Parts: sequence; C-alpha cells; structure tokens
Amino acid sequence: MTTTATTTARRAPAAPGGVLRQMLRERVRSLLWWSIAVGALAAITGGSYPTVKEFGSGFDEMMEQMPEGVSEMLGASSGLVTPDGYLNSQFYSNIFPILLLVFGIMVAAWTVAGAEREGTLEPLLANPVSRTRVALERFAGVAVLLAVLTLVGTGVLAALRGPFELDPLGLNVFAAVGVATFLLALLFASLTFAVGAATGSKGAAIAVGAGLAAATYVVFALSAFVDFFDDLRWTSPWHWFLEPSPLTDGWTPASTLLPLAVIVPAVVIGTAVFARRDLR
Amino acid sequence: MTTTRPVDDGTPPIDIRRLTKRFGPLTAVDTLDLTVGSGEIYGLLGPNGAGKSTTIRALMGFVNATSGTAGLLGGTARDLRLRSRVGYVGGDVVLDRGLRAQHLLNWYADLRGGVDPDAVDALCRRLSLDTDRKIGELSTGNRKKVAIVQAFMHRPDVLVLDEPTVGLDPLLQREVLNLVRERRADGCAVLFSSHLLPEVEDIADRVGILREGVLVREDTIASLREEARQRLELRFSDDVAPDLLDGVDGVASAEVDGHTVHVVVDGSVAPLLRRVADRGVDRIVSHDEDLEDIFFDYYQADGGAR
Repeated sequence: MTTTATTTARRAPAAPGGVLRQMLRERVRSLLWWSIAVGALAAITGGSYPTVKEFGSGFDEMMEQMPEGVSEMLGASSGLVTPDGYLNSQFYSNIFPILLLVFGIMVAAWTVAGAEREGTLEPLLANPVSRTRVALERFAGVAVLLAVLTLVGTGVLAALRGPFELDPLGLNVFAAVGVATFLLALLFASLTFAVGAATGSKGAAIAVGAGLAAATYVVFALSAFVDFFDDLRWTSPWHWFLEPSPLTDGWTPASTLLPLAVIVPAVVIGTAVFARRDLR
Repeated sequence: MTTTRPVDDGTPPIDIRRLTKRFGPLTAVDTLDLTVGSGEIYGLLGPNGAGKSTTIRALMGFVNATSGTAGLLGGTARDLRLRSRVGYVGGDVVLDRGLRAQHLLNWYADLRGGVDPDAVDALCRRLSLDTDRKIGELSTGNRKKVAIVQAFMHRPDVLVLDEPTVGLDPLLQREVLNLVRERRADGCAVLFSSHLLPEVEDIADRVGILREGVLVREDTIASLREEARQRLELRFSDDVAPDLLDGVDGVASAEVDGHTVHVVVDGSVAPLLRRVADRGVDRIVSHDEDLEDIFFDYYQADGGAR
C-alpha cells in the first residue's frame, strides 16, 4: 500500500502513555506547591481539633441556638465537636473540595480547550497520536493530579489522627471520605474537560465546570431552608457527598457511584465529539 | 531534478479532490483539486485568507472537509500509520513554552515510536539551534527552528509546510530550503505555502495560486514568471522626461518622480532595458518580493480564472 519510494522504515506506533507522562512531568513542580499548601491546611485544621474539643460543650450549646438547617449547611449535623462533625464543617464540606475544584477545573480546562487556544494542540496532533488518546490520557492526568492532592490532604489527617485526637475515626472512614472528595472534584473537572473537548472553548469549559459546582453548592446549602431547593437537592453532587457523610457512615453509594454515573458519560461524550469536530 | 517522479500505483502522496470547506456562511476552500507527486515541491500561494491554511489543515485532518477529500499517502491523516510519515510545520508556531527544546523534541520522537537521535542532533546543528533553552524564552526564529526540526527529524515521506521560513534570517531560510530539497531528493512530496516570490521561485517545481478558496492558476514557476508583473524602480542620474517610457512593450504603468521612475512591467523587461540603456540609469531596484502583490493584483485585475 506504500505509494512512495521511501527511505524510511515502517515505524511502530508509540506505546501509550506518552501524552500522560509528559503532562505529569510538566506539572510536578506546581503539584508539589499545591501539595504543600493542602497538606499544611490539613495539618492546621487537624491540629486545632484538640483545642476545639476542649471548648466542646460551648460550641454545641451555640449550635443548638442556631436555626434548624445551619448545622446541616455546615456539614455538621452530628455536632461541631465530634471528630466527624468537626472535619466536615471545617474541611471536607468547604475549603478542601473547593481547593481541589480550583485546581481540577484549571487543569481540566487546559487539557484540550486551553491547549487548543494556546496553539499547542495542533502540532501535537501532527504526530501519530489520535485525538481520543490525547483527550483520554490528559483526562487521566487530571485524575492522577487530583488523586495525589486528595491523598495528601486526607493522608495527613489519617496519619496524624492519634496526636490530633481524631482517632475515633478509622482508616476505613478516611479512605471513604478521601475517595468521595476525589470523585466530587473529578466530577466537576470531568464536566469542564467534556465541555472544553466538545467545544474547544476554554471559557465555556470553566464557566460550566465552576458554574455548576457553585450552583449545586447553593442548592445543597440552602436546601435546608428553602423548599424549592429541598426538592432539587437530589441533583446536587454536594448532597451526594455530604448527606450522609462518609465520615459518619463510611462508604456510601451516593458519594461513589453517583459521581461515576456523571464522570464516565461526560468523558465519553466529550472525547467522542472532540475526535470528530474541527479544531479551532 | 525538477520533474515529477512517477508514483508506483498512480496515487500521488498528496491527492486533494474537489475539496470544499465551509465555516458557516464562509466558503474557505471551494472544490479544490490539487496533487503533489513524490519528489515534487508544490508552492501554494495566495493572499492571507485565500484558503492556504485551511487547505493544509484539512490535509492534516485538523478540520473536516465539508465535501470532497484531502488524500494523504493513499488514505487520510486520520490514519496514524500514514500520519507517522508526515512532517508538519504550522503557520503560527506555538509549541509548549515551558519545555526545553530538547525535551519537546524527545517527547515528539517518543510519540513517533523513536527517532534516530543523530538525525535530530544533525538538524539542530545545521540550524544552529540551542536545545537547552526553554521554548518560551526563544526568539520567534528559534521557535521556528524547533518546529522545523520536529517536522524533519523522522525523515518524512510527505512534508506539509505552512510558511516555514517566516521569521528566519536569510541564511537560515536558505538552509531550510536546502533541507526541503534534500527531502525531495529522497522522494518526499512537499506542499509549501508561502507568499515570498524569490523563495518559491527558487524551490517549487509547480505553483498553485489560491484566491478566495479557488485555485485560480496552477502552473510551473517558469511560465508564471513570464506573466508576472514586476515592480521596478529606476533611478536616473538626471531628471527624467515624462514621456521616456511611452510606448515601451510590456510597461503597464510608469510614474515619473524627479530622478526616479516607478514602473510596472508585464512579462519581460528586455524592451524597457533597451529603451533606458543609454539614459544614465544609476540603479534598478526590484520590488517584486511579494507575490501577494503581484499575483493578487494580477488576478483581481483580470477578474480571475473563474
């Protein structure tokens, strides 16, 4: 089938993973800084728990005076001074997933749409690598980076749960909440990735990813007060993640299976559209 | 060495047939037929927005044809085995800025399943490319060199080059043209877009001129050159009589300005030179580097070949 007099030997297609490895290599340094920040945040949060526990009864009295729903909004329906209530209200229902989301959405928006906009995608695709492979390896890269950050944040708490007096919580519970947090962040990252891959617009990708993360957070946070949101809360990944919380109940289907039911189709559809559309 | 080499089974390595590409209401390329044979360099010319880049991007599989086909090595660029035999330099070279040039070249070589490192080194030496620097820190010209090295390093059977010498100094332009010629000698088919006349004249075996997505003219460079208008500036030692160039064959227009005459010549300049031979011409400056000017005017004036 060769049509030309050629001096070149037939080249074997490259082993898969080259796009992923390169993406990770480029991000080692920034991952290190993010890991330090997340690890420090986890250590400060966990390290403050013994003090909080000392003032324990005071906090819980305060909580009882709050309107119904506030504690739920804080992810602390089991109280602020229990280990699970404390970690939910101070870490897992807000600052930690939000940090992961900022990082995950940023990287996911770059994978296809951002690279397309900066102009690096076209030369890459002049190599014998398929668009499907580029998209999937780069999404895998987002997953790996998010997994590392989640592992650092949760790992610090799990490893130091003795000195932090969080030891009523077992390793199994930390594993469950870690996986659930990872999947929550990966869910919004996958929507960002999918919109970027399908449209080539980095702006649209970030708008959809961050917009949905914010909107569904509002639905969850206000569902205790507003009937309208209460009817909608089943649609919120934050609700899947926090009601019931894996810190209290361990592995829950809602926090693991429901995110996957969004992530898998989003990645498949985004990649399929990307494989066929015009590059911008 | 400028003739087209016959192709084994009759399918040219680049075989574009009735290619049409529309972006919404805009027709960027309109039923384009274009082939490049093995061992042939095809110069694709035309003003910005004429459809050169769209043609090339369709050939590389970056955009889908609205209708027609952009055939490459008997298939299309979607076939990875065929794409592995193609080298590509894009119009706006943007490579990952955070990477060292060496690192990017290694990465791309890895994606190609390995490339002879000696070939890469030799290319970098010929283009005097410092591969230790980050791409983001390189000048435009040096970035272009990285793009050229990655396009040539695997000794491709097809080269698709979108204005590959823009941003390079003349010495390096010549070196790049030499590289292209060497690939041609190996039987490589080269599609080369440009708007620089001397360069295309120098290197292309055949030339196609695109205007508004239509191939208005396709010919050998020699016959195009005969028809091309040339813009000359003649500087005389004395003031020039306004009617000096009246009635000279081939002079399309002449504008006298003191010691200087701006002339546009159709075809040969011989009659013009005969007329001015003994009138004290100090200097003749040619302004025909820009094919865009010459051919665009030319085809606009006569309404094109549609």
